[in-house]
Amino acid sequence: MHSVTLYHWEPNANSGKPMLALMEKGVAFDSHYLDLLNFDQHQPDYLAINPQGTIPAMLHGERVLTESTAIMEYVEEEFPGPRLMPEDPRDRWRVRWWMKFMDQWLGPSFSMIGWKVFVGPAVSARDPGELKAAIERIPLPERRVAWRKAIYGQFSEEELKESQRRVALGIRMLEQELAKRPWLASSEYSLADINGFNLAYALPLSQPGLSNDELTPNTLRWLRAIYARPATKACWAMGRTSMVRRVSILEQPHIGAGRVT
Amino acid sequence: MRMTLYHGEPNGPSLTVLAALFAKEVRAELVRIDLESGQRHTLWCAQEPWVAMSVEAEGPVLVVEGEAMTDSVFIACYLDDVGHGAALRPADPYGRWEVMSWCRQVTERTAPAAAYLGCRVHPPKADAALLERIGSVDLRARWEQVTAGWISQDRLADSRSKILQAVERIETRLEARQWLMGAFSIADIESFAWLAGMVSLVPAAFAGKPRTKEWLERVRAQPAVAQALSLARSADPAASWSVGPEINRWG
Repeated sequence: MHSVTLYHWEPNANSGKPMLALMEKGVAFDSHYLDLLNFDQHQPDYLAINPQGTIPAMLHGERVLTESTAIMEYVEEEFPGPRLMPEDPRDRWRVRWWMKFMDQWLGPSFSMIGWKVFVGPAVSARDPGELKAAIERIPLPERRVAWRKAIYGQFSEEELKESQRRVALGIRMLEQELAKRPWLASSEYSLADINGFNLAYALPLSQPGLSNDELTPNTLRWLRAIYARPATKACWAMGRTSMVRRVSILEQPHIGAGRVT
Repeated sequence: MRMTLYHGEPNGPSLTVLAALFAKEVRAELVRIDLESGQRHTLWCAQEPWVAMSVEAEGPVLVVEGEAMTDSVFIACYLDDVGHGAALRPADPYGRWEVMSWCRQVTERTAPAAAYLGCRVHPPKADAALLERIGSVDLRARWEQVTAGWISQDRLADSRSKILQAVERIETRLEARQWLMGAFSIADIESFAWLAGMVSLVPAAFAGKPRTKEWLERVRAQPAVAQALSLARSADPAASWSVGPEINRWG
């Protein structure tokens, strides 16, 4: 038994952030997989750990930590291992700016599309009464709204269009930034890259018309460089769903416009 | 190192950065901008991605060696790193996690609610020509809604409940302490900055919350906060609002 236990879903979005940060630092942890599609995160035993019912949560000894990006900063500061935050204070500001931008502006738009395509269809065939009860158990009202929309296919055309607009703009912003330097927020690999990979690892598959080696060469270079890291490979090997296996697109040496189906 | 801080009235994000700047004894040229009329969008750096796409929306901009920095909590962390005054975050990683996760809840849940309620009663004003200069499509849409006086009753109710939750959380947190994190920190500054103006707008949130009321006065009396508040040009800076962070679109 290790001193760290991580409650997580797939190496994807918020769950994947502390998973990959721990693995980059070489911190062994007990993995407690919560099946988001089975609503494990809203069961009483997990709510006793995180009353908001959001994934992930981390135990370190007696400490309970939530908020995936803040957990990553804790992992970086608490444990020895390769540095994942730059030394320069302005670089650190840039890491945090990008993480917030991805967590609160770009990520939710990617997520809305992902929930419509993957999460909603994965659970909507279940017993209607069971689903209704599962939604009612969700502690945060805004998460209840999100699940209801995903399960019953209630995303409006207008909000999906807005999400797609943000995704397209976010892809352009990432490409412009990655044209300036090897990594997203500074000259070294950092938590911003871990955060960004969790958001964008399947980009050339999910947004083939917007991201490929011709349109966004720097973004593809960046994604492949992160995927080449042993910690990333080990982390994504922990995935159980077809969603995270999409990462193998990055094994293709060249992804041209219109080449992905 | 040459720094310029473009800031508005000492309320919300401008108050956070001003108080952090003074607490950390960092020297910067202070340049007043009128956030309530959208003047931030006339700055030379307005179209820089950091400024145009800042999640915080109408907040201060700290320029260091030509780089325009936004988002007040992160600017405060930067000032905590480079300044000389007493630390504004605990030294141990767990204490620092507490500050960052606390501030994340404030910026994501409390700040959008406070800005929505504040703008309803004290609406900012920008003319059509200025609105056209706003680089972010979604920020411009929020400005247009505020300018047109469009109010959603659902969002008003949701915002009030978020303020109630924030105060409840503070009241609980202060059970055995004077400051939210033990010592005066960025969490106190950021929480005060968004909630000071809510006392008059959501009085129910503060009813029966003696510890929070005392804490508000303690924060107000901190020298760095008092110095920031002394820069006010209006009689009540807590009534000064501009368009804030977006209320969660979903989830």
